[in-house]
Amino acid sequence: MANIETYNYKVVRQFSIMTIVWGLVGMSVGLLIASQLAWPVLNFDIPWLTFGRLRPLHTNAVIFAFGGCALFACSYYVVQHTCHVKLAFPALAAFTFWGWQSVILLAAITLPLGITSSKEYAELEWPIDILITLVWVSYAVVFFGTIMRRRVSHIYVANWFFGAFIITVAVLHVFNSAALPVSFWKSYSAYAGVQDAMVQWWYGHNAVGFFLTAGFLGIMYYFVPKQAGRPVYSYRLSVVHFWALIFTYIWAGPHHLHYTALPDWAQSLGMVMSLILLAPSWGGMINGIMTLSGAWHKLRTDPVLRLLIVSISFYGMSTFEGPMMAIKTVNALSHYTDWTIGHVHSGALGWVALVSMGAMYYLIPRMFGRELYSLKLVEVHFWTATIGIVLYIVSMWVAGIMQGLMWRAVNTDGTLTYSFVESVQAMHPYYIVRALGGAFFLFGAVVMAYNLWRSIADAKPVEVEIPAPTSAH
Amino acid sequence: MFIQHIIGLFTDPTREWEKIREQYKSGSGSPIGHVLILALIPALSGYFGTTQVGWRIGVGEPIRITGDSALSIAIIYYIALLVGIFSIGWVIHLLGKAYEVVKPLPLCIALAAYTATPLFLIGLMQVYPVLWLNMLMGLPALAYTVYLLYSGLPVMMEISVERGFLYSSAVMAVGLVALVAMLAMTALLWGMGLQPVFTY
Repeated sequence: MANIETYNYKVVRQFSIMTIVWGLVGMSVGLLIASQLAWPVLNFDIPWLTFGRLRPLHTNAVIFAFGGCALFACSYYVVQHTCHVKLAFPALAAFTFWGWQSVILLAAITLPLGITSSKEYAELEWPIDILITLVWVSYAVVFFGTIMRRRVSHIYVANWFFGAFIITVAVLHVFNSAALPVSFWKSYSAYAGVQDAMVQWWYGHNAVGFFLTAGFLGIMYYFVPKQAGRPVYSYRLSVVHFWALIFTYIWAGPHHLHYTALPDWAQSLGMVMSLILLAPSWGGMINGIMTLSGAWHKLRTDPVLRLLIVSISFYGMSTFEGPMMAIKTVNALSHYTDWTIGHVHSGALGWVALVSMGAMYYLIPRMFGRELYSLKLVEVHFWTATIGIVLYIVSMWVAGIMQGLMWRAVNTDGTLTYSFVESVQAMHPYYIVRALGGAFFLFGAVVMAYNLWRSIADAKPVEVEIPAPTSAH
Repeated sequence: MFIQHIIGLFTDPTREWEKIREQYKSGSGSPIGHVLILALIPALSGYFGTTQVGWRIGVGEPIRITGDSALSIAIIYYIALLVGIFSIGWVIHLLGKAYEVVKPLPLCIALAAYTATPLFLIGLMQVYPVLWLNMLMGLPALAYTVYLLYSGLPVMMEISVERGFLYSSAVMAVGLVALVAMLAMTALLWGMGLQPVFTY
């Protein structure tokens, strides 16, 4: 080959490092607000340190900063490697990095100040929303531009997941954030009443479905076979569950609005679609678990595999729990309780965070041409993270069921048995255990950060030649 | 034999798992009687605790459940525990195909039942039904159960530790799913009018 080209690792490297940084920041804020719920004195009577302002900061930091950077890093790496081509439009790719970091920084400033659109997971005000749109469109151009320049005809399934995630998130963001500005930092939603709620949860649930699921399945479909050193268990299954997943997820949003002003048929439709969703979700889980199961002989030497196994197990568990909670009768008990918080975190900590961390253990040392500093520390990370998740979800299950039962208990004369504040008081021990679980998980993340830092300290970034596609393609 | 196994699982688990394996290896022995007895511990303790002792939330008199109501709950609880253990045992048996070690069903049920021993025993704490205290006591029992699963499965199935780790993780995931299914069933039954009747 005359033209020796190298992969664009710079932008992958930048996003990978920021994944770790934002992960630590977002999880620390999470631990702080979990502790505030157990001990409200930790508010320190400072408005911008209160739960109400820090909670959106936590969710934005872990979902869009930590998760987002992991998705950018992995998708840019995977699309180059599976298409045997350098990333298209390098300047635009650099813009997505700096643009995305500006969005995160603006979020970190505006949210504690109380500047918010009040839409859950879409709290940022309209000027920032416009910046997000610009970054996201650039992301799509870079990603699909690279796909169009590919040197192999086949498009690997991970790229299908990344592609679906990029397109759908663009559509969701633009429609849900449509607003009428009244000043630079204040706007009102373009929709009113229950329509606003429906658009919000169509967005909200598909932020879970596409940002936190499809994108991370893309990560799974590249890094799990790579780490296991064997092909995907069933490629046919991966394609079938891809189409089933993207077709079904988009309908599931109304289960967030059970027993509200939303028309009953829409609620029931959301419930049925959520139940159907179990099938494609488990298609992905089975594919991941079976791919890993063939690599059992590598387990002794590779603790990262354990992280990935636990991650896929939690994906299976939370995608079973979700449809259960979408059943209206169950939801009547579970909604507005901490069961929901536990469910979200079994997906967020168990699945999203662990699979991202597994990918980072693969990616970051490779970007600098090094081996991992310590496998022992990966093992420490694995155990602390797993214990942390279990403490978190068990305490939230008990707390949630207890809240649901207390709120619903009535005396024989029809009056409520418990006042709300009594149920708050009863939560104290569970909130302590939950904060402890969070502390364990954060500690594991700190161990990971140290391990990765030692792996790449005083190493030079590497340039890797793009190999010519083999004739098998 | 049965009591010895339980004590052995706390003093020298690996050796005890080997003994249990030898007992059920041929497929002739049946662990069903043991499961029936073990599951009685949490069911009876729960019945006693909720009808006689009661619990307190915030201030006021302790809350109890009427005898009739508690009895039907205890029966459902007992059946749910049995169904849980047998179905997990059955899943272990089925999963054997994926890991290329198919063992007789009684051995798989024995694995599920003896793994859950710490949880059954700690069920005794429900005579004093204070949820947060029960949770604090239950967590070490849960941790020991997980340990028994990961250490016992390779011994019972006679496979390498690495392959056993994957197999155990699959069983763990199934166990979690079963737990969530139980939670959802509780909420469903409660919502359909089978809620407990409280006394104040």
